[in-house]
Amino acid sequence: SDVQHAKVHFVKVPPFGRAFSSGGTHKGSPQEKPDIPKLGQTSSKGTKNTMATGTTHKTISSKAKQSRERLKLSEEIQAGVSSTTASIKASKKKQKDPKNTVPDRDGKGDTSQRSHLKPDAEGAACGDIQLSIRSYLEACIFIGDVERAQRFLLSQHRVRSRRKLLNTGVYNIMMRVWAKKGILNQIGRIFILLEEAGLKPNLGSYSAALECMGRNPNCSPKTSTRSCLNQMEEDGLTLDDLFSDCVFRRDEKDMLLKAIRAVEPGYEPRPHPLTDECPSPLVHHFYTQREQHSYPKLALSQEELLERFQQQLSVERACTVTIDSVETAKPVTENMRKMRELLAEQRTHWEKILHQALRESKLILANTNTRDYRLNLYPYLCLLEDGEYVDIMIQGVANMPPSGESLKVLARDLGHRVYTKYCVRQKFENQAVEKLGSIYSAYTELLAKDTKVSRVLPREQWTRLQMEQSSGPSLQGDDTSWPHIVTLELGTHLVDIMVKNLKINSDILNPSQDRKLIPILYHMYTFRSTRQVGFIKPHPILVQMQQEAMETRLTFDSYVMPMLCPPVPWTSVKFGAYLLTPTKLMRTVEGATQHEQLLEKSQHLEPVFDSLNQLGNCAWKINKPLLDIIISIFNDRGSDKLDIPPPMSEAPKIPHFNPQDPAYTASQKALMKREVINAKKKGSEMHSLRMDALYKLSIAHHMREETFWFPHNMDFRGRTYPCPPYFNHLGSDVTRAMLVFAEGKPLGPKGLDWLKIHLVNLTGLKKRSSLQGRLEYANSIMEDILNSADNPLHGRKWWMNADEPWQALACCMEIARAARSSDPAKFVSHFPVHQDGSCNGLQHYAALGRDVIGATSVNLVPCDVPQDVYSGVAQQVEELRARDARDGLKIAQVLEGFISRKVVKQTVMTVVYGVTRYGGRLQIEKRLKEIENFPKEHIWDASHYLVRLVFNGLKEMFTGTREIQDWLTESARLISKCGHTVEWVTPLGLPIIQPYHRTRNQVLKSSIQHINLQISHDSKERPDTVKQKNAFPPNFIHSLDSTHMMLTALHCYSAGLTFVSVHDCFWTHALTVDTMNKVCREQFVALHSQPILQELSDFLLHKYCSGTLEVQMKRPEAPPSGSSHFPNISFFSLFVSGLKPKAKSIRSTGG
Amino acid sequence: MASSTMSSHLCGVLERMMRSSCCHVIRSRSCLGQAVLAPATSSVCVHGAPLLHRRAYSLDPLGPGRLSLAAGSQQPRSDRTPPSPSLTYRNLSAAAVKGQFRPLSRFDYLDLGKVEENIRRAQACKKRRHFIVNPDLANVVARHVAPDPQDTKSVIFECNPGPGVLTRTLLNAGAQRVVVLEGDRSFLHDLHELEGHLDGQLEVVYCDYFKLDPIGSGNVKPPTMFTDKLFTDLGMSEASWTDDIPVKVVGILPQRNERGMLLKMAYALFERLSVYRYGRIELNLFISEREYKKLVAQPGEMRYYRAFGVLWQMACDIELLHKEPWESFVVSSKQGVPSSKGMLPNDYLCLVRLRPRADLFSKGLTPSNASTLLMMIKQCLAKRKVKLIDRLNLWSPDSGSRLLSEMGLPEDILTGHVYPEEYLRLFQLMDKSQEFTQSWLYEEILENTQREGWA
Repeated sequence: SDVQHAKVHFVKVPPFGRAFSSGGTHKGSPQEKPDIPKLGQTSSKGTKNTMATGTTHKTISSKAKQSRERLKLSEEIQAGVSSTTASIKASKKKQKDPKNTVPDRDGKGDTSQRSHLKPDAEGAACGDIQLSIRSYLEACIFIGDVERAQRFLLSQHRVRSRRKLLNTGVYNIMMRVWAKKGILNQIGRIFILLEEAGLKPNLGSYSAALECMGRNPNCSPKTSTRSCLNQMEEDGLTLDDLFSDCVFRRDEKDMLLKAIRAVEPGYEPRPHPLTDECPSPLVHHFYTQREQHSYPKLALSQEELLERFQQQLSVERACTVTIDSVETAKPVTENMRKMRELLAEQRTHWEKILHQALRESKLILANTNTRDYRLNLYPYLCLLEDGEYVDIMIQGVANMPPSGESLKVLARDLGHRVYTKYCVRQKFENQAVEKLGSIYSAYTELLAKDTKVSRVLPREQWTRLQMEQSSGPSLQGDDTSWPHIVTLELGTHLVDIMVKNLKINSDILNPSQDRKLIPILYHMYTFRSTRQVGFIKPHPILVQMQQEAMETRLTFDSYVMPMLCPPVPWTSVKFGAYLLTPTKLMRTVEGATQHEQLLEKSQHLEPVFDSLNQLGNCAWKINKPLLDIIISIFNDRGSDKLDIPPPMSEAPKIPHFNPQDPAYTASQKALMKREVINAKKKGSEMHSLRMDALYKLSIAHHMREETFWFPHNMDFRGRTYPCPPYFNHLGSDVTRAMLVFAEGKPLGPKGLDWLKIHLVNLTGLKKRSSLQGRLEYANSIMEDILNSADNPLHGRKWWMNADEPWQALACCMEIARAARSSDPAKFVSHFPVHQDGSCNGLQHYAALGRDVIGATSVNLVPCDVPQDVYSGVAQQVEELRARDARDGLKIAQVLEGFISRKVVKQTVMTVVYGVTRYGGRLQIEKRLKEIENFPKEHIWDASHYLVRLVFNGLKEMFTGTREIQDWLTESARLISKCGHTVEWVTPLGLPIIQPYHRTRNQVLKSSIQHINLQISHDSKERPDTVKQKNAFPPNFIHSLDSTHMMLTALHCYSAGLTFVSVHDCFWTHALTVDTMNKVCREQFVALHSQPILQELSDFLLHKYCSGTLEVQMKRPEAPPSGSSHFPNISFFSLFVSGLKPKAKSIRSTGG
Repeated sequence: MASSTMSSHLCGVLERMMRSSCCHVIRSRSCLGQAVLAPATSSVCVHGAPLLHRRAYSLDPLGPGRLSLAAGSQQPRSDRTPPSPSLTYRNLSAAAVKGQFRPLSRFDYLDLGKVEENIRRAQACKKRRHFIVNPDLANVVARHVAPDPQDTKSVIFECNPGPGVLTRTLLNAGAQRVVVLEGDRSFLHDLHELEGHLDGQLEVVYCDYFKLDPIGSGNVKPPTMFTDKLFTDLGMSEASWTDDIPVKVVGILPQRNERGMLLKMAYALFERLSVYRYGRIELNLFISEREYKKLVAQPGEMRYYRAFGVLWQMACDIELLHKEPWESFVVSSKQGVPSSKGMLPNDYLCLVRLRPRADLFSKGLTPSNASTLLMMIKQCLAKRKVKLIDRLNLWSPDSGSRLLSEMGLPEDILTGHVYPEEYLRLFQLMDKSQEFTQSWLYEEILENTQREGWA
């Protein structure tokens, strides 16, 4: 905001001159040294003179041609100074405000930086620090403290070691500020700084310069603008690049155009032609031949959609939502009422205290920071209104689990909340929200029921609309995401304020106690081995108050809720999902940036975007009757059997005893102590389960009358996930049962049968029966089914014994309704029927290895009845066990009669995803513990024994699998040994990189505690070979799995189906199950008709074994012989003709 | 002890002779072989072989003069020289206590075996361990651990003896009852053989002392074991804390997770769990110099004054018996000498005696409230540069000032400036006061069981 000051500080240049001469960033000749300090010297506190153009010239003359050209530009810009004096004067006047320790808010309009521009090659190496610098500068500018930003940039620039951390983008941030103010000479100076730092201006720099010229009525277009354009051209940048690659805020774009049109009248940016060509042959047809396509529509009118958009907008704008919990239904006791009053009273008091404490801490921070180059939290504490920080802190208290939270987690959450709010505010500041509204309303035309059918995909539609409405700000944000450490530091600071200031009277609950002011949160340590972990714990008094008050209002971050309108389609790596809330396309480890860099570089993510959009566009609603039943049990006493967590009143009482009481012997005390420990442990487990269920149910309850959507993103292997964390269709049986499609479709001729088969699948029975067998079974128990539907809680309760009881009950109800309707084929059903897509990784391995025996057991090859690999393995294990038992092996004898499909299933399923013997043993141990009459003392030995048998059994059954796994592992080992990270690209073009590196420690020093961060994703560290190698096979299979899902999603979309997925379990309407199965199979075959392993091998060889590397690294061997061949035609023809869909549900543990 | 000074002088000469001769010996393998075969030169060989494990300069408070036993023990068995006075002593006392005599033929010194062979066997061990193979080193250790002739009760537990050089040396030095706890099966056979040759002075158990009383679930089978099984098998029963030292443990603390082990043992001591149910078990352990420095760090050394040091200092008399360079030990892996990262020097393994104080559980500390003390110490020393009064007030608001004045400590004292004894007294005061027993600190202890912090 303060040009005067900014100038003054800019002018403190001598130090950077010194730094320059002491080493020199460019290989400059010595004679230019004395010139440099003279550069940019203007009066600082009345000591220095203004920069002379002549000096600049002198410097130029000693430079190489290229730099001369660039400096010429700054000179031209300098020349423009004369014509801009007026504006400077104007702004000077404005700046004459009193010394602004607290920045004036009106400066916040100048929040203009350009950060999306790709970091320069040398800049990319500085990763985290650079990110810190950028986010700091942006924060300073957002709060209007231009002076602080300028001072900071210069102090970085002056010292060579710190200057190395800067890149063009960082300088552009300042340039953008000056452009907004129309001060051309400041921009010129930054061009000089860039030159000094040995950096090239990029599109962002030129865009700022042009924008500034556009704003400047006195700027002479013929000279400065022209030379700017020339310079751009010499740097190989075109005007069209400017408009297609830069992100604009507010009216920047218009200013840019204005400046350009002054010299090139009639210039119109030509957008890059849309690249229709997707390199993957898998989707070539999908994009080019659309005549047959019929994309689904929503059952809502355009008007309704727009109304919902407005609702969603206001939710996201507030960043938090407060809803009634389902416990509201409970009667309010006298004590509850009293506690609620007490809490409310305290809260008001705490808010006041926090306000004051925050103000004080800001004052201290603003004044104490003496060194300009040090990052300071101050700007981060001014981004929002004080009240918003206070709300965030109060929310932190309210959500604190009774057993406390580790400082790191709490700090991260608080910091992240500030960041989210800041991003949302930025969008409003940039005036992007109105434009979002106008594009969204045009976009709804594509989805609404009352508009004409089109064969355009949501992403294409959105992109087209954006192009049509190209004036004004860009929608795509260019927010710099904060480095993890900044989020944590800010969060820790807030926690510190909370711990130090939030107090309560100790006699608040028990007046007989002495009155003392005691803190409600305390900081302490828990100890894990030799490590100590900082914890924030609520005082027992606070816990008691909160538990007794049973407050019925829940406050969530807005992104926790499903969306009330269809999500914004993903159109680029940085734009999609929620309307305002920042969302990452790819979920990553906190602070890992390599994925995003890779994504930004890749050209053909369209199929990935489209499939995510397709999943996100599925509309949902609540299965109300079922929700009511669940809530009634939840508000009663819960049920462990039905997975409804009981309330805390059901928790074991914590025994009280006085450890000093001499009446107890030492061993009695020890025993009681253990009892107390167990009771507490059980209590805290129950609490977290209960809260989790409370959140889910309350969200569902809040949504009971709505239609809603789950925006999707993916993990680094391409597996897709709904963004709202608690309540979504990926959840447990209970949550899944509460969800149905918003759109209903008639059952059609086979729909009812599919519902019945689906029900049998949910029970977990008849795993080895054919579909027909399952259907017959369902028909034979129709009475139980109807009874369950009619009288779920007091009838025969058949449904309660199913594997997935709640979904089974929901299915019973649907079957009952359909069966009783006059014409089941016309019965409109909203019910999702599940089909297992690619079953599991074993199928992929079997297909990759063209492994017929293995393929048979995972249903890739037709058989009369669906094969069940789990039963197969169980059978084999049982045979081996029987043999060992005959040979007299004790443990084998003990296990007689206990080996079942269930015992081995999870282990078999996860083996392909890389479960180790260790993990496998734990899984089996868990299963054995569930068997009631299995002797507990043998569990350990039995689990050891069984995991060995399972592993051996699998090795025999899937030989090809083994070979491929070994090849993958070995390749990864070689790659990693050479210091590279394993990367590959899925057949659909999604780039994947494994973020496993050696751990580096980073210490965050804050006043409350030092936090040690172990960073294992830093790409500058050497790769962690063990992890790279062990994780490659499962990650690779996951990436194939996700590719298959995406392909299925796309093709289901073109067939007009409703489709969602839970990884490899696919959902659709009963009517369309057959179509979906067909698509699923076709896409599986299509995927595996690609030479996947060959392409992987080529990719790896090309990437890691070219040139010099070849010397260092042994070429990965060619993939195993069987698998590198092109598809064996007969193999696949068998597959296509004969495969029966293996209809089975997978448990929620699947991930 | 005139004889000892004389023999020490003699020994010094002897050793110098051997050192010079060893150079010749090493040059030729065949020569070495001969030397091994020839009984007369075997002592030379013992000193000569170990380029690998030659004892470097060592800091021994007892001085190098006490090598009398070394000289003695080198006597080959066949060579029936008259036993030295100390040896006679051993036999007499053995006879006196046990009321039985070893057969005459076994009266001789136990042969320590060929050094080269011992080294080979130690190095063949699959786990990463350090071994005492050098007879001189074994002698030094034995001298420190072997009981006074008067002390006839205490048993020596030798942890992970490997080829058994120290075992034999201990027996030679007159130990009445040695229990070796060997965690590696490969050494068991020879140890059992030795056990068979002796007459009850040596018991061999397949057990890893440092894996006693595991916390996790799973089958407990040797070498993992529960203390009560071990002691019951050995026919030892629980003893009062104030009784004499029943067991002296000698061994090398595994380098992996030294601090975790020390913490675990300190917790067990304060709560009288694990071996400490059987009385005041004295540890004589080689620990790395770095951990030793932390163990005995004094208030004010803010970097190293840690909870585990405070606890050990509170509970035990700590005595540094001997410092020996890493190179003197045989290691069963390539990286024998730890990297010397960090600020503290780490050139030695330190033989440290940790003898629990008999009066630890007087004046209010009991094994059942000890867990609160542990928690208090850990909370206080998680950060050393915070004011003690703040910690105290956190546990019980407004009582810090009163407690400090009762203790006679300044108001602004930092947690890193408080002596272990002062912490103990502070705890005793707190434990008596009503306010603190109601504090969450007590709750916390119950939650964070004594096991938390175990390795």
